[in-house]
Amino acid sequence: MAGVVLRGRFPRRRMVQVVATNVFRYIFRGAARNWVRNMGSTAPALGSMTLLLFLSGVIGLSGLALYNLEQVEAGQASVLHVYVRDNAASADVDALWDRLAQDPRVASVAFTTRAEALKRAQRIPGLPQLADASESNPFPASLDVQVKKIDDVAAIDVLVRNDIAVDTSYPTSYDQGAYQRIQAVLFGVAVAGLAFLALLAFVAVTVTVNSIRAAIHSRRDEVAIMQLVGAPRWMVRGPFVVEGAITGGLAGVVGGAVTFMTGMAAGSSSFAQFAPGITVTVAALAAGIVFAAGLGLGSGSSLVSLRRHLES
Amino acid sequence: MRSIVEFKGVTRAYGSRLALDDVHLALEPGELSFLVGPSGAGKTTLLKLINREIRPTSGEVWVDGIAAHSLKASHVADVRKRVGVVFQDYKLLPRLTAMENVALALQVSDLRVSDEEASDRALDALEAVGLGDRGKAFPHQLSGGQQQRVAVARAVVAQPPLLIADEPTGNLDIDTSWEMMDLFGDIAAFGTAVLIATHNVEIVRRLQRRVLTLVQGRLVRDQPAGRTGRLAWLASS
Repeated sequence: MAGVVLRGRFPRRRMVQVVATNVFRYIFRGAARNWVRNMGSTAPALGSMTLLLFLSGVIGLSGLALYNLEQVEAGQASVLHVYVRDNAASADVDALWDRLAQDPRVASVAFTTRAEALKRAQRIPGLPQLADASESNPFPASLDVQVKKIDDVAAIDVLVRNDIAVDTSYPTSYDQGAYQRIQAVLFGVAVAGLAFLALLAFVAVTVTVNSIRAAIHSRRDEVAIMQLVGAPRWMVRGPFVVEGAITGGLAGVVGGAVTFMTGMAAGSSSFAQFAPGITVTVAALAAGIVFAAGLGLGSGSSLVSLRRHLES
Repeated sequence: MRSIVEFKGVTRAYGSRLALDDVHLALEPGELSFLVGPSGAGKTTLLKLINREIRPTSGEVWVDGIAAHSLKASHVADVRKRVGVVFQDYKLLPRLTAMENVALALQVSDLRVSDEEASDRALDALEAVGLGDRGKAFPHQLSGGQQQRVAVARAVVAQPPLLIADEPTGNLDIDTSWEMMDLFGDIAAFGTAVLIATHNVEIVRRLQRRVLTLVQGRLVRDQPAGRTGRLAWLASS
């Protein structure tokens, strides 16, 4: 009589546990062990990647600070200070004020007295000493005109320059091309920073690719045997990608920490006017991005190396 | 019955040189066959085509129903799981014990195999090749014959339908070589197709199994089992 073999179902949970254990062992534990074993050949990659990530973080923060600075400058450049003559009649000043307020290109007009001008000047580095050097208040009263478009500032300047209420020797704060000069400088700094980063990224990726190539070379027999006994491709590649991610992750942790500390120092009160907008949150976010970039850079470089050297 | 391996008009060229030229053959389950021929005849190329280490220039290679000739690199493991491989230089991992070498092959080809199951099956395979008591030994602590037995245990532990061996007795003395041949005979008796590339004329003549003779890339003779024929390639070597 033919018998029927009954096989018990293998519990699914147990299966998942076994697969997870094996994946952890062959991909992650194996990668960590090999990383420690190959630390000597990995050190240059770790160093160059840490340097790249730290500089990326600092350049990123600097870029943000420059952007904020440019916004501040743009805001200041669109405010035209129309300096009022010391002995100007209040009716003339009022007439000029009304004329400006009714101009469609003007957003708002405010009056600053001489005393307010002095107070404002005392908040600007270097000017308090200048104010103290003079017995009388050297700062004139002004109509502060907020122009809607920065391109219209020149036209408003022409409009008010010869008004009877306006100081003839120093009529307005308009400085032709000042804003454009700041923009040009910022653009140059940004391009130089990006070019430097690109060069450093190339060096870091090349060094990492070579270190992974050395790792592949030192384990070529093991890799060949794994392939021959039927290990799927992801299982052969996985440990190398994880090794790259460990290198990148460590570089990211160091680079991120230094970026955070640099951001905190830059955001402190003594530097706040040079690095506006650099807060604890921004510094922490930059550190997080640097860490994630490290992971991506490390594993990405490993993949490039695997494609070049393992497949061949 | 479906053939385990089937070559249909297979040609493989390296540049302008033909390593294999229009080869047709089929291997059946439980069949032990020898692949003979002079050096450079194409034996290793034929084995590499079966294990999908290379692709044919033209023709078709089927392994246990899988079209190895058109298989993408990402699916090569599907063929490798069905083919056990034994090399002349054993190719054991020196930092692993005999048991770990065998268990590794089992687990990397099937992640669902637990440690306990892998150990049990690796021990069974080592016992089958007569090394049940040497499981904890590292390769450098074993003789050449014992290392080759571990390699055979590793090749069959996942019970593949096909075992290929490239000069498996090349580094062994004659007594150990005969022991290895007995082992291959036992494996074939359990239904596994076994293909052995060898230069050992004595073994090929005495065992009287199927003999495939390659000369300059062409399959010049396919001698069925049970016959004692002239080894054609000897005349040309």
